[in-house]
Amino acid sequence: MTYLRLGLVAIAGLAWFIFLPDYRTLGINLMLLAGWATAWDLLGGWSGQTSLGHAAFVGLGAYTIAVTSTRWDLAPWWGALLAMALAAALALLWGKLTFRLRGSYFVLASIAVAEILRLVAINERQLTGGAIGLFIFDLKEPFGLDLFDRGVEFWVALGYLGLVLVVAAFVTRGRLGYQMRAVREDEPSAEAAGINPEAVKLWAFAISGGLTALGGCLYGIVLSALQPQPLFEIHLSVRIALVAIIGGRGTLFGPLVGAALITVAAELFRNVFAEANLLIYGALIVVVVLFAPSGMLGELQRWMVRRRYARSAQG
Amino acid sequence: MLSRVLAVLLITTAGVALAQEPVQIGVITSITGRFAEFGEQHQAGVQIALEDVNAAGGINGAPVEVIWEDDTSEVNAAIAAAERLVNRGVPLVMGAYSSSITNPIAQYFTRQERPFLVFTSSDDAITRPGSDWIFRINQPSFAYAEVLFNVFDQLNAEHGDGYLETIVTIHGNGAFETAVADAVDEIAADRGYTVLDRQDYDQSGADFRPILNRFSGLDADVVFMVSYAADSVALARQIQEVGLDAKVFAGGAAGFALPNFIEGSGPAADYVYTATMWTQEVPYPGAEELNTRLTEVLGRTPSYHAAQAYAGIITAVDVLSRAESFEPADVQAALESTDMPDTVYGHIAFEDYQGYQNQARLPAVAQQVQDGEFVTVYVSGQVVNPMLETPVWDDR
Amino acid sequence: MEGLAPLLQNITGGLLIGGIYALIGVGLSLIFGVMRVINFAHGEFVAIGMYLAIALFADLGLDPYVSLLIALPAGLVAGWLIQRVVLARLIDAPGDSTLLVTLGLSLVIANALFLLFGAEPKSIYLPYATATVDVAGIRLPVAQLIAGAITVGVITLLWLVLNRTEIGRAVRATAQNRLGAELVGVNTRQVHALVFGLGMALAMAAGVILAPLLFAIPTVGSSYTLKAFVVTVLGGLGSVPGAIGGGLLLGVVEFLGASYLSSGYRDAYGLFAFLLVLLFRPQGLFGRETKRV
Repeated sequence: MTYLRLGLVAIAGLAWFIFLPDYRTLGINLMLLAGWATAWDLLGGWSGQTSLGHAAFVGLGAYTIAVTSTRWDLAPWWGALLAMALAAALALLWGKLTFRLRGSYFVLASIAVAEILRLVAINERQLTGGAIGLFIFDLKEPFGLDLFDRGVEFWVALGYLGLVLVVAAFVTRGRLGYQMRAVREDEPSAEAAGINPEAVKLWAFAISGGLTALGGCLYGIVLSALQPQPLFEIHLSVRIALVAIIGGRGTLFGPLVGAALITVAAELFRNVFAEANLLIYGALIVVVVLFAPSGMLGELQRWMVRRRYARSAQG
Repeated sequence: MLSRVLAVLLITTAGVALAQEPVQIGVITSITGRFAEFGEQHQAGVQIALEDVNAAGGINGAPVEVIWEDDTSEVNAAIAAAERLVNRGVPLVMGAYSSSITNPIAQYFTRQERPFLVFTSSDDAITRPGSDWIFRINQPSFAYAEVLFNVFDQLNAEHGDGYLETIVTIHGNGAFETAVADAVDEIAADRGYTVLDRQDYDQSGADFRPILNRFSGLDADVVFMVSYAADSVALARQIQEVGLDAKVFAGGAAGFALPNFIEGSGPAADYVYTATMWTQEVPYPGAEELNTRLTEVLGRTPSYHAAQAYAGIITAVDVLSRAESFEPADVQAALESTDMPDTVYGHIAFEDYQGYQNQARLPAVAQQVQDGEFVTVYVSGQVVNPMLETPVWDDR
Repeated sequence: MEGLAPLLQNITGGLLIGGIYALIGVGLSLIFGVMRVINFAHGEFVAIGMYLAIALFADLGLDPYVSLLIALPAGLVAGWLIQRVVLARLIDAPGDSTLLVTLGLSLVIANALFLLFGAEPKSIYLPYATATVDVAGIRLPVAQLIAGAITVGVITLLWLVLNRTEIGRAVRATAQNRLGAELVGVNTRQVHALVFGLGMALAMAAGVILAPLLFAIPTVGSSYTLKAFVVTVLGGLGSVPGAIGGGLLLGVVEFLGASYLSSGYRDAYGLFAFLLVLLFRPQGLFGRETKRV
């Protein structure tokens, strides 16, 4: 089933590329957001640790690519590997410090960490170019591919989304996935069953952070002009988390569904309702949490399960 | 590839075969979101410019229309909009308000090898180093600091050397404010002023008293402030409260040149020098009339951004009228040979100078708030109205 | 900056702005203490207060300190309604649902303000507000003195309500043990609605006081939400006196930090303190015991 759905995602990407050539940037934005949200969900959904600081990883990825390619003349794939390693290290440190906080306290701490990183990006000019930022002027071309071409970027974004989904599928179906769910549902019982909750959460955070940073690398190349404000700001963190929650936490394809819904809706509302687009965004979240707490995909799955039971009961 | 071919076909049909088809100009700006205030100014300027150019026969007989793209004050929406306009084959695109949005779009247009006309974003980096495809009408951020230093030089000439020597700078930590503060450091070093202290603040913090207390121990001759609208008023009020005295208070950003700076600060705004890019008193033909019309459309006093949008449209129309075709290379060539000596925004021609590329070389304007009114005091190397000395707070 | 006077100037300045932080934080802390809800829309409530004062001043010429008399009951009713219509559905919902709903509310409010008032910064100019009083070489701005007095007044009023009335007893009982309170006949649903109303009224009062001091833009709320988080965590989430102490402390720390160290990291000082307290003293700087953490 999962592989079939992955195939559907690939076909949808192909169809978008062919039939919507005017909307490639929108498609890239959608796939990046979906990738980030899926990565976020490994920690937020599967392991039950809501983070409102994931923009820090996006910013870290984008800045690593910019610094390595412009200052050190490193090829982007090395930059991307370095970014993922740095992000994983940051996640381990961050998690080590704050995983002892529960619920709302962890959420607040995640905001504080991301905000401090934003202020570092603004104030450490030597490294980040400060408020004025960094520009990526040229990049080494892997296999002769021009990474600045929107068409190429589209395929790279699709590949990124595919990679995140495959990793998420692999992780959540494996041993780690069961441990993550056990920790989410009942930490003391999980511990009693011989699971080390901190280690499980740290693994989830490291994978989540590394994958988010990888998307951040691509985002940096798409923008090619980086400034701390749009990259590190809390609005991006909020958007990543909300997209996953609207789509359905703890489901493999939920974050993708949420990202598609939000991106397309925001684009439609931008033209139709013009000024009220964020208003509708906020209202949607309220409605989902009130009436569909498992998210769009989660509710759909529950409904299908219920129908199956009803049918077998009749039969 | 297919879309490219389609786009080219569209351009040729629009430009050659059907002369009566309207010619489209793309404008990306922030109609909604946190920069919407400036988007409103842009809309007013564009509206009046369209009335004018269409009354004058449009582009070689074809009417001109504008395709608006709202970037919702966000960079993602802006680059998506840029892509749409390029794929639609719109021959010339203009934009955007915030430099943090314009920078990535400019990179995109450079890569796509399509011409892009900047009319209001002032970050130096847009045209320094710039590219062959990016053209800018409005003054870069350097100009905001430069014109105020011209005023300082002038004051030194009037009062004798050594009247103004030391400077303290306070600025927001956005790209634009930082760029202006950098320019202050650079020009000060060039012209023999000393910057005693430079402090920035995060955009969310609007309590400046601690920084001002810190400054009051330094006794600087000049307090140089760079901030947006909301902060400029808080700064002026708090300077009065703290009782920070200086010979010159200078505001090097849009926030100090907007009418609500005076409305919000009251007498605390008096004697502050501000850098602005355009006023109705600039010595260009039709400035006063344009100001009146903009006031009518907006229902309030326009800011210079409206005039910049007006200048953008008339420049775009002039360029497209002269272009041999609407192919990007021809539009680029027409942009390069632009020479419009008598526009309401001054002499518009794109030059390469001081590391800038394709940058119109226009002087900024200095004003001083005198008795609750903006008075233009310095334009193009000329003192046009007397500059008043700033009294200490105890005497006000 | 030499001598004692500038230091005193900075400390009084910090205390005066800290008083307003305290007023915002108290509401947030009260809501958390009773309802276990982190209210992400708290800063937006402050913004509503600012715009209310601005609208009343512009349309009716009402002095903002008079419009406080409208803002307090209006906030009480609006908060009560929000709790009954939206949050009451989520009392037993899992995890962070309420947090997410208030996050959604904050987006809705900020954009509604934008639609109503536009993006242009707005403020109230009161000629007497920029005046200052000289006390022993320290300049005290009149507007901030009034703000300080009102803060003290409002917080005293709150203290009286909480400690000297039957309603207050019900509120405190619910905070300590919701189930227990229900067993002895307290209508905790009403208490929750009342507390949310009180929290919103306090936030709006802070907004009204801030209107003549600062500028309002529709997105101004989010920075107050962050400040309020810092204040309440410093003082211990759920503790009303703690929030007052946290507010005053944050004001003074920000003032001294920006004045004597670099101002670029000003907000980071608060956030660092916030993280340290969260990690090592989750009951807050002034709290005695660890509860429910």
